[in-house]
Parts: sequence; C-alpha cells; structure tokens
Amino acid sequence: MLAPTIAILGIFGIVPFLYVLYVAFHQWNPFGANPYMIYNGAGNFRRLVFDSEFLTSIAFTLKFAFFAVFSEVILGYLLAQLFMREFPGRAFFRTIHTLPLIVAPIVVGSVWRLMTTPSIGIIPYLLKSWFGYDLNIGRDATMAFALTVIMDIWHWTPLVTLTLLAALVSLPKEPFEQAQIDGANRWQIFWHVTLPMIRPAILATVFIRLMDALRTVDEVWMLTGGGPGAATRYLGLHIWKIVFPKTDYGYGSATSIIVLYLTLVMCWLLYVALVARRGQRRTP
Amino acid sequence: MAQVTVRNIVKRYGSVQVIHGVNVDIADGEFVILVGPSGCGKSTLLRMIAGLEPISDGEISIGGRVVNDVLPKDRDIAMVFQNYALYPHKNVADNMGFSLKIKGRPKAEIDAKVKKAAEILDLGKLLDRFPKQLSGGQRQRVAMGRAIVRDPQVFLFDEPLSNLDAKLRVAMRVEIKELHQRLGTTIVYVTHDQIEAMTMADKIVVMRDGKVEQIGAPLNLYDNPGNVFVAGFIGSPAMNFIKGSIDSKDGEQIFVSDTGTVLPAGGVKAQGGQQVIYGIRPEHIDITPDGLPATVSVLEPTGSETQVFAKLGGDAIDAIVKDRLTVRPGEEVRLRIDPRRVHIFDRRSGARL
Ligand SMILES: Nc1ncnc2c1ncn2[C@@H]1O[C@H](COP(=O)(O)OP(=O)(O)OP(=O)(O)O)[C@@H](O)[C@H]1O
Ligand SMILES: [Mg+2]
Repeated sequence: MLAPTIAILGIFGIVPFLYVLYVAFHQWNPFGANPYMIYNGAGNFRRLVFDSEFLTSIAFTLKFAFFAVFSEVILGYLLAQLFMREFPGRAFFRTIHTLPLIVAPIVVGSVWRLMTTPSIGIIPYLLKSWFGYDLNIGRDATMAFALTVIMDIWHWTPLVTLTLLAALVSLPKEPFEQAQIDGANRWQIFWHVTLPMIRPAILATVFIRLMDALRTVDEVWMLTGGGPGAATRYLGLHIWKIVFPKTDYGYGSATSIIVLYLTLVMCWLLYVALVARRGQRRTP
Repeated sequence: MAQVTVRNIVKRYGSVQVIHGVNVDIADGEFVILVGPSGCGKSTLLRMIAGLEPISDGEISIGGRVVNDVLPKDRDIAMVFQNYALYPHKNVADNMGFSLKIKGRPKAEIDAKVKKAAEILDLGKLLDRFPKQLSGGQRQRVAMGRAIVRDPQVFLFDEPLSNLDAKLRVAMRVEIKELHQRLGTTIVYVTHDQIEAMTMADKIVVMRDGKVEQIGAPLNLYDNPGNVFVAGFIGSPAMNFIKGSIDSKDGEQIFVSDTGTVLPAGGVKAQGGQQVIYGIRPEHIDITPDGLPATVSVLEPTGSETQVFAKLGGDAIDAIVKDRLTVRPGEEVRLRIDPRRVHIFDRRSGARL
C-alpha cells in the first residue's frame, strides 16, 4: 500500500528536488554565451552571499511576512471571536467572509492592481477626493510595500479566521465558567484560559501562513511587479526573475535551495521557541 | 459569609420553562442541600446563584445584595462543577491556585494554601500533573481543592462526590462537614445521594420538575414528609406505598388496600372511605410471631441487616430487620407494622393527611 505513495512522492517530490540541487552546482544559461551546463562547485552559493539584491530581498520578504502574518492572526482571531457571538446575519457573514480564499492569487493581484492603478483605480481616487492623498504605488515604495501587505491580509485572513473559529468552537465551555467564578476578568480569561487552549491552532496557522507568505509570487507580481525599484521584490519573485527573464538556471536553483533552507531553519527556530520548550516542561 | 435568598425564581430556555417559581431562604453559615431526581433543575438553580445562567424572573440575593445583574466574578462564590471544569493546560497546583493568582496574592501565600488543600484532599503527590493525567476521582478532588483554597461568601457544590469510590466518598463527606464547621461558610450543595443529604445538611430542599416539594431539616423530612414524592425520595430503601382506602372496624380506623389487605392506621385525620396511599418505611416493620402473615419473595442479607421482599396479601412490601433470618423464599414470615410510623397520603393530591 505504501509503495505507490512512495513512488509518487519520489517522482513528483524528490526527483525534482534532487535535480534542482544538481543544477544549483552548475552554471547554466541556455540562452547565454555558453548554453551548456558547466560544473561550478559552490560558485553559485558564493555569489549569493555577496548578492546585495538577494540580501535586500530577504530583508523585505521577512518584513512582509512578519507584518502580514502578524496582522492576519490578530485580525483573524478578532473575527473568529465575532463569529462566535450571536448576531443577525451571522451565518451569512461567516460564509461571505471566506470568499477571498477561493479567488486565485493571480486574480487577487489583478483586481488589486486595477483598484490601485493611479487615475483609473478606485482607491487612489477615493484617497485623493477624501484626504487629498496621492497614492502612486508605481513611485511610492512604502505604499507599495504596505499595499502588498494589505492585499495579503485581505486574501488570507479568512483562513486564519476559519482555523481559529474551528478551534474556539471545539473548546469546552466549563473552564471559561470556572474562570469567571475564580474572579477573572475578560482579559485575564483570554490570557490564562483562551490563549493557552487555542495555542496549538494558533501555532499551526502561523506556520502555514508564514511558509505561504515567504513564497508569495503571483499576487505581488501582478500588483507591483516587484517594484518600485526592488521594494516589493520578495524572494519568490526574485527567484522567478533570475530563472525566467534572465534564464540563469544555475544561479536560480542555488537561490531556491538557500531560500528553502532559510525557511526550514526559521520554522524550526520558531518551533523550538514556541512548542518544544513548552513540551519539555509538560513531562515531569 | 452570607445568607442567600432565592425569590420566585423562574428559568426559561426559549419557550421551555424548567424552573417554576422557586423560593429558598438560606441563612448565613447554613449547609443547604438540593436533592431531586435527574433533570429537576438542581444544577440550573445552582448556576443561577453562581451567575452563570441568566435569571428569567425573580430575584436572587447574596449577603443582602440583589445579584441578578452582578457578574459571577463579582459574586465572591466558589463552585465545584458536576464535570470538574479543570483548566486542561494547567497542572494541579496552578488549577488550585488560579483564583488566588488572579487576586494578585503573593506566591508564598498561594503555595501555602495550595499545599494545605492538597494535604486535606490527599493530592500532595499529584501537584505537577495535568488534568488529563488524573483519574475521575482525582479530578473531582482537584475541583474541590480549587474551592477550598478560597475564602468565599458562599460555596456551591454540584454533585462533588459523584465520581468517588465508596470509601473516599465517606472520607470526603466528613472532610466537607469539617470544612463547614471550621469555616462556617454558607454552602449550597447539590446531590443525588440521599445519604449525603441526610448526613451533611442543616436543611434539605427537595425538588421535582423545577418546583420545590418540601424544605426542612433532614430528620424532619424523614419523619414528616409533606407528600408522597418526598416520602419516597427521602430514606433508603424507599418507603413502601400501598394504595387503598380508610375504613373503620370496631370503632377503630383501619386501612384496607385495593387488594383487600387490612392494615393498622390509627390516628390519621382521614374520613372513612377516603382513597389514600398508605406509607410505611421498611425499617419500621418488624418480624414478630404475632404479626401479619406474608410470603417471602427475596431476601437480601448485607451482613449488618437483612432486607426482606415479601407479599402481604396482594401487595408487595419490603422490610429491613437487624436479625439474620433463616426463612427461605416462598415461606411465610409475620410482619408487624408500627402503627405510629404509618404515613397516610391523599391518593389524588399526594399530600400528607
Ligand atoms: N441549555 C438548555 N436548554 C434547554 N433545556 C435545558 C438546558 N439546560 C438544561 N435544560 C433542561 O433543564 C432541566 C434541568 O436541568 P439541570 O441540569 O438543572 O438538572 P439537574 O437537576 O441538575 O439534573 P442532574 O441531577 O441529572 O444533574 C432539564 O430538564 C434539562 O433538560
Ligand atoms: Mg446537575
């Protein structure tokens, strides 16, 4: 029973990965001066360490992922709490708030592009007429960055809401009643009871969202194209630019490997910091 | 410490009314036990006193203050839930100390109180465990411990001993009684177990279907049940009930069952011919040579006493006697009913006559 799974995993997962690893140690640009694969040792990796574009891209990506995921978790939690309450139209809002999830990222990017393009988009128009603010993400790097974050929040907060809502719904109600009897106020109940009880769900969501945010490509590509300058040229986009327009396959592969490695290390560090340490304390 | 007053309390869940105008007065320092069959509204009433359940109508006050709109956290009560309600992510010590921590008490004081409670409840070795690593009885004791570490105005207990084994239950019963004597705090206690009710309470409230049937001291309820329900509910094994009517013979009042058995019924305030229910507790029936003949159907010796299930004429009756009996099922015994211990109830209303 296991054999087909392993075979499929091998063909679709491991083989391409090994191939990328293989390419990463070569210089290979089929449309360059020398179209053949030339063994290059760790040359690509050495080049990466001094590639300032790559390093800026890491910094921007981390910043982007941090702001996006952080806001999504906070906002998602608040929305989940809202949907726990009884109010007219709750079922309706619960349903429509998940709509962004079913839109393809490329479409999300296009829509936001349309909404933000100066002179035709609704957002610059409203900002201009209400606040007299000129929004031009083609020129304003900070605004472009902010918009990619906002777009990501818009797209992915419902996912966080859904997972946290599921977690909240499944909580037993007795500890909350006991906490009230014990004299805890709302904030204390949140901190001492709710948060510890939905911790696993929060962590799972943070990991999923973090890994997703670190490899965002299509939405940002549609919205800003990575610009202005390199302000929104996040890692996924950065690799894409090396591999496709520049057809520098060897270097792109090496970048991919390093990004994969960085993501793993980061998640592992987070895991150790947030989960494993607690886990040890639990076993007396 | 405080008195608790429950005035015309009504509880509705949507269109379903589960509590129908309950009145209970609980004096300061009193140990009151709510008993009644499952689903009669004991937990609901307790939860309304705690503030966890909104009150549909009526008024509850604690210590002279109407608390209808006071949040549970401001009522200064400790509660033990029927299903423990432990914090799953906190160990035993943190579970017990949480209320003190919330109040901002110094750590040394919390530790001391938790340790003392753990000693009383024999939880000393379990302080580092998490609820999922405990048995049902241990969890229940942790829940008790959480209440004990506090010094509230009122303790509310919802069947706190239901999951303990017989021996531990007796020990905890004594423990709770001692706690009450030591602290003198008002206690409202829900139970199914009428031994608990009889042995611990200053006052028992018997409930049925969201109504109070009778309130009184344990022995008072035992001796003078106000109606058939209370008579059948208080006392174990339950009172014998025989349907029939009152008649007179030789100028003396007697009871004639529907199946024709004649039983003594002196001194009841019933008219001749009235349809009644005749009640006699098993422990008030003796076996003597001059008694009424009955046929034994089952014998249940427990060592200290023997319960005899018998047929008296056409009516089933059971008796508890201290002696070891040598009779066998199918044989005859002679039962003597203590006429002073007979209870007569009106058949239609169930009220005591
Ligand atoms: N949320 C609710 N919605 C509707 N009915 C309810 C609700 N909670 C309780 N009830 C009903 O209220 C009645 C009283 O319930 P309650 O839990 O107070 O009984 P209880 O006397 O504590 O029983 P037990 O001895 O089995 O614990 C029951 O008939 C129950 O079905
Ligand atoms: Mg109950």
